[in-house]
Amino acid sequence: MELYYILGLPLLFAVVAATNMLGLKLLHIADRLTATVVFGLILDMAVKFACHADEPIRQGFFYVDALGIWMLVIVGTLYLAFAWTSKAYLERDTNIRYGYLRRFTHLEGRFYALSHLFVWTMMLVVTVDSLGLMWVTIEATTLVSALLVAFKFTRTSLEAAWKYVMVCTVGICLALLGTIILYYGQLQAMGNVQPLNWEFMAHHAQMLDHDVAKLAFAFLFVGYGTKIGLAPMHAWLPDAHSEAPALTSGLLSGALCICALYVLLRATAIVMPVVGLDFISNMYVGFGLLTIALAVPFVLVQRDVKRMLAYSSMENFGLLAAGFGLFMPLAAEASLLHMFNHALVKYMLFYTAGTIMETYATKNMMRIHGMMQQAPKTAMFWLLGIVGILGMPPMGVFFSKFYIIASFFQAHHPYLGILALVLLAGMLIGILYHAMRMLGGKPTRKSAGELMGNLDSCVLFLMLAVSGVVSAFAYELPYVGTLLTEAAKIVLGGVQ
Amino acid sequence: MEYLVVLLIFVVFVQTRVMELRRSVVALMAQSVIVACACLLAGLNHGLIHALIPFALTLGVKVIFIPTAMLKLIKRITDEREIFSDINVNYSTLAAAAFLVFGYVLGNRFMLDPMAQDIFAATVMMIMTGLALMVMRKRAILQICGLITLENGIYLLGLIITEGLPLVVELGVFLDVLIAVVVLVILTNRMSLSFMTTDTTVMRKLKG
Repeated sequence: MELYYILGLPLLFAVVAATNMLGLKLLHIADRLTATVVFGLILDMAVKFACHADEPIRQGFFYVDALGIWMLVIVGTLYLAFAWTSKAYLERDTNIRYGYLRRFTHLEGRFYALSHLFVWTMMLVVTVDSLGLMWVTIEATTLVSALLVAFKFTRTSLEAAWKYVMVCTVGICLALLGTIILYYGQLQAMGNVQPLNWEFMAHHAQMLDHDVAKLAFAFLFVGYGTKIGLAPMHAWLPDAHSEAPALTSGLLSGALCICALYVLLRATAIVMPVVGLDFISNMYVGFGLLTIALAVPFVLVQRDVKRMLAYSSMENFGLLAAGFGLFMPLAAEASLLHMFNHALVKYMLFYTAGTIMETYATKNMMRIHGMMQQAPKTAMFWLLGIVGILGMPPMGVFFSKFYIIASFFQAHHPYLGILALVLLAGMLIGILYHAMRMLGGKPTRKSAGELMGNLDSCVLFLMLAVSGVVSAFAYELPYVGTLLTEAAKIVLGGVQ
Repeated sequence: MEYLVVLLIFVVFVQTRVMELRRSVVALMAQSVIVACACLLAGLNHGLIHALIPFALTLGVKVIFIPTAMLKLIKRITDEREIFSDINVNYSTLAAAAFLVFGYVLGNRFMLDPMAQDIFAATVMMIMTGLALMVMRKRAILQICGLITLENGIYLLGLIITEGLPLVVELGVFLDVLIAVVVLVILTNRMSLSFMTTDTTVMRKLKG
């Protein structure tokens, strides 16, 4: 029953916001109320679930197990953060070049409606039970978020949105082809019982034909890999992430791409017993490392602050893919934890980048100097976020990145581990150089001032703190350790 | 069914040669009508209800709604002038022929029976041609046509190898196609407002 409330409330709010019935003040309040209630329900569900974690929830077309709950918690946390930072962001969005909303106030309702719809489709992705429906919902996320990417309707944002829809739709069509082939395999092997149902297929995976499963996996990997932003198919990612409004970029990077990764993992768990571990593992690790390797040079020469963050996201998705590709318990748990950490820290970073763009009225990092003097609060959050995403010790990402790298060595791939470390070091040098140049130096703009308010800095600080505490004490905290272990078991399928 | 496949291949060949916006949408419409008929014929072997629902959906979504929306959009676009380049057209027709041969080779390897082999080759050709159209055409509308062709190809392929997806998924796929076209039409409309053209080659600012 709870599930219906979780899925119903954002949709209800989206409809109400789209009709512009509420006034602006009421709209902000309703926005926060909806997100908070939904988040509360998700937490409640997670806690109840963790008590007897091996019994998935089945309701109609919905199916939620430990992995689904973990993803739902990530999406829900970002939803909460979105709701509590959106008012500050919208009120500050006055910039002639990069702002848009305040000059056309009636658009706020539309922005809220689309954003909540976007979160709603992402929640659907992680709760539906069949691979076919997962495909449908992933495609729906593309379409809703394309309107959000193009929200400002400037020339560059239109270009980014066009590229995004075209590239992702073609990729996702290939994934549909993969799904159809998998369905064909199922019809041949098991007949027409529970078509494409994830749980059923995962239990009877051995019956699939080897060649059919391999072909299906190839198509699914390319299709969903496009959506994740893996290396040769990543062309849309930096554009979409850099041109969208800052809040949307945070949601795109933090939640959307890992939702696609989630669907790919589900599909992999089905075909793995038939195709064999080596082929799948090589695909994941190879493309993951290639993604990191491609992201590094682009970060080094980058001038656009949000584009730099987008390439940093690519690096993290590459690391996630490589981590899952090892198919070891430690690596899987660390990667799941990294999904959570990356979502929180990256959302916080994109929000801060949006603030910086407002403060300095430019996206060009070469023109931003002396943040430390002019906007100390923003500068502090920028530094904390950068240090966090690069995986330096006190922050949450350090733990998850460390465990992933450690499992490379545990899996007897020391050279791959060293390669990953070298690539991460390159990333660290590039990003830290740009960030430090922005922080230090003499301020060149007289008008720039502190924009970060009290409420949103509280939210950002809480996000960093939660990510740090959860990853440092993952197994000491109640429920978290259980959920992680159970979710990792689902990702690994039969392999131990 | 044989006649339908021949017609379908013919329409796709015509599509590679059409460069005018309005005509290409009409060609797309004809293609969707043929797909809908194929859907009805294939479904009749498995009972009436099973045939009628996809048929009605294809007719409603792909034959009526999508072309109407695109034609309305074309009326509003400010420059209807075409960029003619004969080389481009001939290459894409040649490529479509090559894709058809490729489809037959592939179907031969899977050892399908002759009838299924024909449809299989046609679907492979549609998928590849759709992709080629999206890459080679510069106008936004023509790219959307390529996308729908690709989608039709995948749909038809699903129809012959699995008699269609489960009903819920099928409904979802149709809904997605519908929304995709709405989103693309909105974007194209905005593009023609702010760039004064729907030529996608003007959008080359984002790089690196």
